[in-house]
Amino acid sequence: MEQTDRKSNGGRKESRMHILLLLSVFVIATCGLIYELIAGTLASYLLGDSIMQFSTIIGVYLFSMGVGSWLSKYIDGDLMRWFIRIEVLVGVVGGCSAPVLFVAFEHVASFRLLLYGFVSITGVLVGLEIPVLMRILKNNYAFKDLVSDVFTFDYVGGLLASLIFPLLLVPYLGLIRTSLFFGFLNMVVAVILLYRFKETAAYRKGYTAMISVCLLLFTACFLYSNKIMNYSESMTFQDNVIYSKSTPYQRMVITKNNRELRLFLNGNLQFSSADEYRYHEALVHPAMQALPKATRVLVLGGGDGLAVRELLKYPQLKTVTLVDLDPGMTQLFKTNPMLTELNKGSLLNPKVTVINTDAYQWIRNDSTKFNLIIADFPDPSNYSIGKLYTATFYNELRRLLDDNGILVVQSTSPYIGRRSFWCVDHTITAAGFFTIPYHAYVPSFGEWGYILATKNYSWKNEGALPAGLRYVNSGTIKDMLYFPPDMAEVPTDINKLNNQVLVHYFENDWGPYAH
Amino acid sequence: MHIKGVLNRRDFIRYALTGTSVLLAATYAACTAEGNRLAHIKGGIVGPDSGTGHLLRNPDAIPAPTSKVTTDVLIIGGGISGLSAKRWLQKSGQTNVLLVEMADHFGGNAHSGRNAVSAYPWGAHYIPIPDIRNKELLDFLAEENVVTGYDQLGLPIYNDYYMCHDPEERLFINGMWQEGIIPNSGVPEQDKQQIKAFLALVAAFKAAKGKDGKDAFCIPLDNTTEDDEYRKLDKMTFSTYLAEKGFTSPYLLWYLEYCCKDDYGCNLESTSAWAGIHYFACRKGKGANAEASTVLTWPEGNGFLSGRLRAQVGDNMRSSQLVFKLTQTATGAEASVYDVGKKTSYTVAAKKVIVCSPQFVNKHLLRNIITPERLASLERFSYAPWVIANITINSLPVKRGMPLCWDNVIYGKPSVGYINANHQDVNNSLKKVLTFYLPLSSEAPTLARTKARDTSYAQWLEQIVEELEYAHNGITECIEQADLWIWAHGMIAPTPGMIWGADRRAAVEPIDNTIFFAHSDLSGVSIFEEAFYQGIRAAREVMGG
Repeated sequence: MEQTDRKSNGGRKESRMHILLLLSVFVIATCGLIYELIAGTLASYLLGDSIMQFSTIIGVYLFSMGVGSWLSKYIDGDLMRWFIRIEVLVGVVGGCSAPVLFVAFEHVASFRLLLYGFVSITGVLVGLEIPVLMRILKNNYAFKDLVSDVFTFDYVGGLLASLIFPLLLVPYLGLIRTSLFFGFLNMVVAVILLYRFKETAAYRKGYTAMISVCLLLFTACFLYSNKIMNYSESMTFQDNVIYSKSTPYQRMVITKNNRELRLFLNGNLQFSSADEYRYHEALVHPAMQALPKATRVLVLGGGDGLAVRELLKYPQLKTVTLVDLDPGMTQLFKTNPMLTELNKGSLLNPKVTVINTDAYQWIRNDSTKFNLIIADFPDPSNYSIGKLYTATFYNELRRLLDDNGILVVQSTSPYIGRRSFWCVDHTITAAGFFTIPYHAYVPSFGEWGYILATKNYSWKNEGALPAGLRYVNSGTIKDMLYFPPDMAEVPTDINKLNNQVLVHYFENDWGPYAH
Repeated sequence: MHIKGVLNRRDFIRYALTGTSVLLAATYAACTAEGNRLAHIKGGIVGPDSGTGHLLRNPDAIPAPTSKVTTDVLIIGGGISGLSAKRWLQKSGQTNVLLVEMADHFGGNAHSGRNAVSAYPWGAHYIPIPDIRNKELLDFLAEENVVTGYDQLGLPIYNDYYMCHDPEERLFINGMWQEGIIPNSGVPEQDKQQIKAFLALVAAFKAAKGKDGKDAFCIPLDNTTEDDEYRKLDKMTFSTYLAEKGFTSPYLLWYLEYCCKDDYGCNLESTSAWAGIHYFACRKGKGANAEASTVLTWPEGNGFLSGRLRAQVGDNMRSSQLVFKLTQTATGAEASVYDVGKKTSYTVAAKKVIVCSPQFVNKHLLRNIITPERLASLERFSYAPWVIANITINSLPVKRGMPLCWDNVIYGKPSVGYINANHQDVNNSLKKVLTFYLPLSSEAPTLARTKARDTSYAQWLEQIVEELEYAHNGITECIEQADLWIWAHGMIAPTPGMIWGADRRAAVEPIDNTIFFAHSDLSGVSIFEEAFYQGIRAAREVMGG
C-alpha cells in the first residue's frame, strides 16, 4: 500500500516535471521568435528597406539555430545545468538586444555587424535549447511522443509569438520593453527549473545570484526604457552619421562623406559645407554692403555661426548679438573642431554675444537699436516657428531697427514655396517696411529666397564688398533681384498670430515634396 | 522506463491553453500594471476655501461686531460685477466706496494662478470681441490696451497679442484630432446636413429683430427684444426645442450639449431653449482686424480682465471679509462683517449698499430684509458645479491630425476639454500648463455638489487622467503637477424660465433706494460681459437714485 502510493506519487511528480519542461519549450519558442521579430523590426526601423532586413535576419537566425543544433552534440555532462545556463544566456542576450542595438546605433562603426552578431548568438543559443531539452527528456518518453510533444509546443509558441508581437507587444510595450520582458521570461524559466529539480542544488545559489543581478538590471532598463528610446531615436541618413545629439528642442545630426559635411535638425537639412557659402553670402552681403556705417547687428536663429562668419568680414562692426533658442546648438558650433573650422570660430569672437533664449521673448523685452537684423529661422513648418514670421513679430523688429537700418529674413524657397515666400514679403510690407525680395541658387537646397526690408527704401547696390567672397559680387546681387515668371509674385494673405496662414501655405507648398 | 501517455490529447490542449493564458496574462500585466502610475503627480485640491462661506449657515456663531466704520457706498462682493460697480462709481465721482470680499482674492470666478511654467485660469478664460454698441466694455478694453485704436470706419483695432492665436480649436473624434470643434471627421453626410441646417437656423436668429426693433439676441441680454416670439423660447428646454425642430443627429446633439456645458455648465435637458440659442446668436462683435468669432484670451484667462479692473479701482478693498448680516437703518444700511484673518467683526454703516454676491449667498444675507416670497424666489436660482484642473506637463504625446491648439475637446467625454494656458505666450516653452474644465452636469446640481464634496483628489485625478489618456496615450508620465479647484456653485444655470421669468426680475429690484443688486446671475448667464454690465447698471441706479 505504502509502496504503491509512493510509486504513483513519484509518477505524478515525474509527469509534472515533464510538463514543466514542455511548458518551458513553449516559453522558449515564444521568446525565440520574439527576439527574431524584434531584430527584424529594429533593423527595418533603423536601416530602412524592411523586406531586405526581415529576409536576411530570418535567414541568419535560422542558420544560427542550425549551428546551435549542430553544436549541441558536443555538449555533455550535466545536461540540466547546461540547459539552465543556456536559458540564462538567451535571456541576457535576447533581453538586451533591443536596448543595446538602439543605443549603439549611432556610436558603432558597423551597426550591421553588431546586429547580425546579436542575431547569430541568439540563434545559436535558441538552436541549442531544443536538442538539449530533448536529450534531458529522452529517457522518459517514447521517441515519437517526445518529438511530437516538443515540436508541437515549439510551433504553437511560435504562432502565439507572431500574433502578440504586432497586436500587443509593439503597440503597448514598444520594442525595448518587449525585448526586456521576454529576457525576463527566459530567466523565470531558468529559476523555476533551478528550484524544481533536485539535481540543481549544487549550483542553485550561484545561479540565483547571477539571475537576480540580471533581473534587477532588466527592471531598471524596463523602467527607463523611454529615456533609452529618446536617447537613441534615429533616422536614416544617406551618409555616415558622425555626430548626433538630442537637445530638449531638437535633434541635431551631422553626416559626412568625402565631399561635404551636412547638418540636419529634426531630419531637415540646414546646410551642406559644400555650398553653404552661397546661402550665407546671399543672406548677409546684399544688406551689409549698403551699410558702411553699421556697428550693431542682431542675428536671430543662425546658431551655426555661419552668418556671423560673413558679418565679421566687416571690420566696422562693433557688436554682433546672436539669439538662438538652443544652447546645445551654439555650444556645438563653439567647440566642435570640424564646425569651428567651418564657421571660423565666429561664435568665439569677442565682438559676438550669444544669447540662448526664445527670440520672440527676447525682442519683446529689448530696446537696443540695431543697424541690421537678420532673421535666420528654420522654415515655418509649425505654429511655434510660424509666430516668428508674423506681422506682429516684424512690428517688434521695426521698433528695434535703426531708421536707416535693414532687416533681412530667410524666406524659404520662392520656387517650391512660392506662396509662402510671397506671404513673408507681404507680411513684412504690412508691418510698415519697404521690401526688396531676392533669391539665390544653393545646390543642396535649390532656389532659395530672402526678403530685404528697410524703413525708407534707402537700399542701394553700390557699396563695397569684402575681398574673397566666392558667390556674391555686385553682378550677382543684380541677378538675385530678378524673379522669373515661375517664381513671380502671387497674392497672399498677411501672416498674423491669429491666422498663421504662412504655416498653411508652407504645408501646401511643400506637401508634394515630403515623403 | 518511460511514462506512456504523459500527454494525451486532452492534456495537450489543457496545457497548451494554460501556457497560452499564462503568457498572455503576463504580457497583459506587463502592458497595463505600472504600479501606482499616478504617484509621481504632485498637487492637490487648492481651492476654494468653502469654510468661510459656510459660516453663513449659522451667523449667530460669528463674533458680534466690536467696531464701526462708515462709508457712502458699501459693495458686498469683489467679483467682476462688484469691481465693475466700484469702477463705475469712481468714474461718476463717487470715491467714498468700500468693497468687501469673502474670498482671499478679487475677481470671483475670473480667478487665476501662476507657476514656473505659465499663468493659468481657475475659471472663465476668454471673451468674444464685444458688440460695437457695447461702448462701456469697449472703453474699458481701450483703457487696458486690448483695443489699441479705431479705424476710419470706427471699428476697434484689437491687440494682436490678445486675440486668440492660431491654431484655435481641435476635436478628438474617431481616433484623430480634427480642426475645429464642430464634428466633421468621419461624420456621415446626413449628420453634416443637420449641422448645416442648425447653423443656418441660428444665423437667422443672430440677424433677427423683434417687433420693437431690438435684437432678438445680444449681449447684454437686457437689451434684447421683449417680443414674445423669442422670449417664449425660454419656457421650454433646449432638448424639447431641438426635438420639435427635428434635430436628431447624435453628432449635432453632442455638439450642442458640449456648448451648453461649456457656457452654462448645463445639459440639453436643463438649459432653456432661449439660452441654448443665445450662445450662438449673441456674438455680434466687429473689429478692424477681427471677425465676430474672434475671442480675446490671455494665459491667465479672464484673470487678466479682473486684474486690470482691480488695478483701476484702487483703495478701500478688503478681502477675506464675510458680510453675515445686513439691516436697514434710518440713514441707509448697516452690514456686520467678519474679518476672517483677525477673527473679529465690525459694522459698516453705509448710505447705500450694492450687493454683488450671488443669490445663493443673498438668501442668507437678506433673510430679515425681504419678503418671504422674494426669499423663496432666490431659492430657485440654480448653480452648476465645476471642477477645474491645471495640469503641468513636460511634453505631450502626439496623435494623428491637428497639433495642439488653444481649445482642445474630446468627443463624447464628460469634460469640455482643455485649454493650453501657454497658447497666448509667444515664448516657445517645452513645458505647458493645460487647464482642464469638467462641468458636473450629468446630475442635478445639488446631487452633483454633494458627490463632489465627497470625492477625493485621487479620485478626481484618476478620472481626469483617464480622459486625457484616451486622446493622448502616454500622457500620464508627462504630467508633473495637477492642481484642482472645485467650484460648488460655478455658474448660474439658465434653466427654463430663469432668464425671462419673474424670479430674475424680482431679484434685481432695489430695496427702498438703499440696497441695490448686481451679479451675473441676475442676467441668468455667467459671462464676463453680463457681470460687467450688471455692475454698471447697479452703479448707475445708485448715482441716479
